[in-house]
Amino acid sequence: MSEEQQDLIELSDFYILSQRYEEAIKVLKRAEKISKANPRLYYNLGIAYEALNEVSEARESFRLALKLNPDFASAQEHLDKLIGE
Amino acid sequence: MKQFAVIGLGRFGSSIARALSEMNFEVLAIDKDESLVNAMEGVVSQAVVLDATDAKSLIELGIKEFDTVIVSMGETIEDSIMITLTLKELGVKQVIVKAQNDLHSRILKKVGADRITLPEREMAEKLAQGLASPKIFDFIEVSETHGIVEMVLPKKFANKTLSELKLRDKYQVSVIAIKRKLPYSKPDGSTDFKEEVIIGPGGADETISGDVLILLGRNEDIDKIKKL
Repeated sequence: MSEEQQDLIELSDFYILSQRYEEAIKVLKRAEKISKANPRLYYNLGIAYEALNEVSEARESFRLALKLNPDFASAQEHLDKLIGE
Repeated sequence: MKQFAVIGLGRFGSSIARALSEMNFEVLAIDKDESLVNAMEGVVSQAVVLDATDAKSLIELGIKEFDTVIVSMGETIEDSIMITLTLKELGVKQVIVKAQNDLHSRILKKVGADRITLPEREMAEKLAQGLASPKIFDFIEVSETHGIVEMVLPKKFANKTLSELKLRDKYQVSVIAIKRKLPYSKPDGSTDFKEEVIIGPGGADETISGDVLILLGRNEDIDKIKKL
């Protein structure tokens, strides 16, 4: 994983914790351009979309996180909740 | 504490018995099928194998002491009618009956059911409503003219105090609660959130993108906000 991508994901953590979800999505989209192989990136994207009630985008993001890491328990929990809602 | 009895432990009956039990109510679960009753052992306070169409058995069970009895008999309308009649004659205060269709519903009302539920139709209507307006999570009719709606905060309302939004002046609706996702950092460094509910928010409370508002108002005023 590139350092730049890691920095962007950490920045997205900061934005999510500050409840600035739109900004989190922006930096995660930038991180996605570097590489699409990071499950944490898609997990954070799912969290930010879910917080904004953008349910279908959140679902898709958690699915991508699980595709990259099928054992990603938190991503699975969120996906199950969204499908059952 | 309120006591409930559920007659008929198919999918609907067992689900409602389980849900009430999880809310810590005393629940008596009844069915003539022993395997269905056994499946409820340990889930509800009491589970009994009994043919509820037999009035004498219901009397011996002391069914009239229950505040609410839910009758969920599947396809057999005759059984639902018989049981509803018996329960009302015994003086059970509230009898709620699952119906299959409008005709069943009309008959059950005539024999004294206090409330009819058509779960499949109600669920389908809710799902259709959700598909038609994805930003509306729920709507509860308070009266013919008023309702409570649970809706995603419109984007243009974000980051403003409730006083600034002036929803009461502009749209004649009251914000009775705000549901908000509260982010936190997990021990592994990842982020997650839990939901908090701000009941009766004040004018100084500020909205955040992603909030869900619970509004009370006239249906036509709520419709105006839904379109924002």
